[in-house]
Amino acid sequence: MKLNRRSFLASSAAATAVMGTPMILKAQPSEYVVASSLPLTGPFATAGQLVSPALKMFEAIVNEDGGIGGVPIRTTIEDSGYVPATALANYQRALATEPNMVMYYGDSTGFMKLVAPELKGDNATLMGSTSFASDLANPAENPYQYLPGPSYEDQVDILLQNIKDAGGSTVAFIFSNTEFGRDPIEHGKKKAEELGIKVVLEEATKAQGADIPTHVTKLAQSGAEHCILQGYVTGVWPQLIGGARQFGLPTQFHGTFWGMEKLIADRVTAEAGPFLDGYSGVMPYRYSYDQEEAPAYQRYAAFQKKAFAGTPLENYMPTWGLQSLVSLNLGIEALRRVANKGEEITADRAAEELAGIKDFDTGGFFGGPVSMVDNKIGTGRVYTYKADSGLFVPSSDWFTV
Amino acid sequence: MGQFAQFAINGLMSGAIYALIAIGIVSVFKATKVVNFAHGYLIMFGAYFYFTFSVVVPGQEWAPAWLASWQPDWLLAAKEGLPMFSPMGAVLDWVANLPRILFGLVGALFANAVVGLIIERTLMRPLMGQSIFAMIMVTVGLISIMSGSAQLIWTADAANVPYIAPNMPIRFELFGTMIFIFGTDLVNMVIALLLFGGIVAFVRFTKGGIAIRATAEDSSTAYSMGISVPKVFSRAWVLASTTGAIAGAILATRNGISPSLGLFGFSVLAIVLMGGLDSYIGVFIAAMSVGVMEAMTQWQLGGDWAEIVPYVAVLVVLIWRPHGLMGQKEVERI
Repeated sequence: MKLNRRSFLASSAAATAVMGTPMILKAQPSEYVVASSLPLTGPFATAGQLVSPALKMFEAIVNEDGGIGGVPIRTTIEDSGYVPATALANYQRALATEPNMVMYYGDSTGFMKLVAPELKGDNATLMGSTSFASDLANPAENPYQYLPGPSYEDQVDILLQNIKDAGGSTVAFIFSNTEFGRDPIEHGKKKAEELGIKVVLEEATKAQGADIPTHVTKLAQSGAEHCILQGYVTGVWPQLIGGARQFGLPTQFHGTFWGMEKLIADRVTAEAGPFLDGYSGVMPYRYSYDQEEAPAYQRYAAFQKKAFAGTPLENYMPTWGLQSLVSLNLGIEALRRVANKGEEITADRAAEELAGIKDFDTGGFFGGPVSMVDNKIGTGRVYTYKADSGLFVPSSDWFTV
Repeated sequence: MGQFAQFAINGLMSGAIYALIAIGIVSVFKATKVVNFAHGYLIMFGAYFYFTFSVVVPGQEWAPAWLASWQPDWLLAAKEGLPMFSPMGAVLDWVANLPRILFGLVGALFANAVVGLIIERTLMRPLMGQSIFAMIMVTVGLISIMSGSAQLIWTADAANVPYIAPNMPIRFELFGTMIFIFGTDLVNMVIALLLFGGIVAFVRFTKGGIAIRATAEDSSTAYSMGISVPKVFSRAWVLASTTGAIAGAILATRNGISPSLGLFGFSVLAIVLMGGLDSYIGVFIAAMSVGVMEAMTQWQLGGDWAEIVPYVAVLVVLIWRPHGLMGQKEVERI
């Protein structure tokens, strides 16, 4: 064959196409994997076991919508027992066995901090989690991890501002002696000072089995008008409030995300009376029963009715499940943006797209479109529990910090 | 001084619960020389049984309505208009719950005794005569089995149970300070102390108790003297599981039901080592001391220290007396 300029270009184009085909095939695997570690056993098993079905619902709905660039996703769930080292081992196993893993969902502040130094080069993966720890919203240090809402520090800021606006002048911080409990306390003390609110008590308690009479006695001695509770999930916070009410304390109690679950408040009310009435706290998302302006919630509700009939999830999605859904949806949005550009999905590209999410419509999880700023979404509002209806109802407008 | 009294009382009430938990560990050790690492999980089973019989069963459609909530006319009339947390309201709420509380306690005692017997007959007795270490390892394995089974049977859902006693606030003045006590904590303490006293009296003054002590001294000699050592083993496990059922029910009223209840056993193990594995009195003193130390440390130094200081004290005692405050020193004859 005579080689001229035209035949050379044609041959080169054909050769490039042949050599490039495997790369295109490699960039389009048969499935993408979203792996996760959840506390299916251990102290937070209640939350882990309720979140686990939400992940399977997420998988089904994402695949109904075409997966990521037409490629379906598969979720995997492993038990961490709420032990960071176990979750890290789960992550390393997923890295080794799931070549198409594009996102990981972790289950604790401890794990997210433990894994952060490993998220480099080939080991980097886009990573959401159940934690709102302030240190995780640090794109300069770690662009792959993000928060699906305001950090605990932001949440405490909001509570303190609300206390100030209500004319409060003294506050007590009661928190579990865990990383989760301590996270916003130092910052909260500074913020309180800025606002002219006196911190009259800083009380660390056990995360489970706290000595309620002793803590309530100290709260009574402090004379705090308001008390912010941090670092609890299913227990301690209701007992503290119940104890304070029996003691006759007029203190108003406030919580952050993990202490705002309706299922827990309802069970306590059913067994011990309506003493949680008036308890308020920060919630980044609408509760799942507030579906009118939330098309995503309506879709989930239809799925739940069918798939989770006869379980607590049939008519209600716990706040813990909503958090996971928001986190995973944000990650999927970033991955879809990479895929839609026709680029191969890498952690760096996904992190870049995640950081660029602006005015994004989540389908009603938040009060309006949200933006990712410093790898977190600083949006939420204050809800108050009404014991007679068993509902947390909004007691502030949506705000952004 | 008044504040000191308040925190001392709080500490004594916690200590009494520790003592009640510790009874089971000491009883099994005295009879079998086995340190039961799974005792916390036996307690967790007791708590879940109390939940089953006081909440789940009364809530079933087929259960009589009076079991879930006894509401005779006189009770409804007496409750009319009472504010929440009034002492009388708390007593009347408790009266309404009394049928399910009693049903829950009896059910928990019986079911946990059966669990204790099953563990003894199927896991412990076949190892009689083998190394004690093997039996201890079985109790370690039992932790995984019991924790997994509990989640399979009851799921990991957190739940609440009715108070065993009226949870009315009790206030009185002492050294010029208003002292406050939760009624239910006071009754829990009394129950724990009565049980503790009853078991010590049983071991000291009854034939069955003497058999336990004899087996603890030397099981081979006890066997040759006609004591049925297997029966002693069974009795010890039943004692541990029934006291564990009460301890579990009390813990459930204080902290709610969750699989993490099993972890309590580990903190109490340190107290048992401090008191002496085979000494009821030593363990009682250790439990009360740790309870008071925890409350005092929480009061003066805060929660960061409350979990450390008492256990540093445990370590100091163990360095000073390796067999615990009143534990029997083992004599090895060559």
